[in-house]
Amino acid sequence: MMDTQWPRWEVFKQDAPGKPHQAVGSVHATDPQHALVTARTVFVRRPSAVSLWVVPARVILARTAEELVTEGELPATEPEAAAPQRYLVFRKTNHRRSMTFVDYALTLEAASPEAALRRAREHFAHSPTLVWWIVPEAAITRSDESPETVESWFAPARDKTYRQQSSYGVVGSHISKHKQRPQGAERD
Amino acid sequence: MTTAQDPRLDPRLEAFEARIARGEKIEPGDWMPDEYRRQLIRMISQHAHSEYVGMLPEGEWITRAPSLRRKMILMAKVQDEAGHGQYLYHAAETLGATREDMMDALLSGRAKYSSIFNYPSLTWADVGMIGWLVDGAAIKNQTMLAGCSYGPYSRAMVRICSEETFHHKQGKEMILTYAAGTPAQRRMAQDALNRWWWPSLMMLGPHDQDSPNTAVLSRWGIKLKSNDEVRQEFINEHVPELLEAGLSIPDPDLRFDEASGNWIHGPINWDEFWAVVKGNGPMNRARLEARRFAHEDGAWVREALAAYGARSQAQAAD
Repeated sequence: MMDTQWPRWEVFKQDAPGKPHQAVGSVHATDPQHALVTARTVFVRRPSAVSLWVVPARVILARTAEELVTEGELPATEPEAAAPQRYLVFRKTNHRRSMTFVDYALTLEAASPEAALRRAREHFAHSPTLVWWIVPEAAITRSDESPETVESWFAPARDKTYRQQSSYGVVGSHISKHKQRPQGAERD
Repeated sequence: MTTAQDPRLDPRLEAFEARIARGEKIEPGDWMPDEYRRQLIRMISQHAHSEYVGMLPEGEWITRAPSLRRKMILMAKVQDEAGHGQYLYHAAETLGATREDMMDALLSGRAKYSSIFNYPSLTWADVGMIGWLVDGAAIKNQTMLAGCSYGPYSRAMVRICSEETFHHKQGKEMILTYAAGTPAQRRMAQDALNRWWWPSLMMLGPHDQDSPNTAVLSRWGIKLKSNDEVRQEFINEHVPELLEAGLSIPDPDLRFDEASGNWIHGPINWDEFWAVVKGNGPMNRARLEARRFAHEDGAWVREALAAYGARSQAQAAD
């Protein structure tokens, strides 16, 4: 069928300062700001983020280790005189846990995404990579890094303790408490 | 399986199965059998649809929640279900499905979703029972799927399970409060249990011998446990807690088997299950109508966003 849906944006979330941005999923949106706001709603309903990036999915060069083996080297499509651009390299490096993401690893300059991938593979030649994503830096829209914005975007979830499973931590262990109907307790 | 497309004839299959045996995750660009891709799209999109339709029985109660705290909890929970649908639709997209096509399949009735959401939520106690039993059953299934061989599905499930645990606990807290409350509250809790117990057992799927997809799903590490195994885990966890809360389980044949350490349930009415799956449950039509209405009623929001996006792009180009 004809694809008339809004463009897809990959979402990268940073859980805490100093941790890498990780690919967490995607949203469909009309423009970068719409994508960021939707990403915040979908991926930051709980307090573990300080920054979000969104990137149009179509500009990402993604290759798995298996594709690189079966397809061989990527053709050099860069024009001879192309001015170098900055690219962000993301990698997934192990299978061991379910939560192994494609994580931000490095920024480098190259004439094309393919050239960036080649350079990234040389750079990490001694560290096996299972998934590569090459993202042009110019295509990234980032959440505002000012402390005020970080606070207003990501802090409110911290006060919503009722969203946390720990808020109901006593439920299993003290059933007897619920049988006593303490006087004055809120009934609902 | 037909011989023409028999994936067992593909030389790449052996390496694929060896990877799964080693516990490796399959990622979107990796080679995979067509049947693996097909089964995953089927399961993940059904799962996503269930999250979306699951908003309906609970969403109806947001305006009628008995306290502000309960209202905030319920709004957060319904918002989570929408988010879970988004994670899952994305995981299916990594396999080549489009969001648009999946949404069309749901709204047109081509696609299935969990049978459980075709039952009505008649009282406020149902909201608690859905959290405790339905989310409790879902977590058992999803914890298993978090270990599945397909990377994006597995990652979505880990995220979903940690959020579902909140749903489970708030539901249990709500029911325990009612079970220890006034006679009217206790009756409401018992009535909700009477109506949700059997559908909760059914939502974990047909018995293993009647489950046509289980063999291939377990062979490729998509399902790590069978329907009956997951159902047994669910029963063993929930029966003692429900009994301790002073509620009775609506199954005259239910008994504890000392030898196996399992609670053994009586026969499940699978005729009812299949009738609901085939679209003849109490709420099938109403659920789909509500989804269609929400989609069509929200058309102006999509149009406004598209117009805003187009204008922003035009301005940026100037």
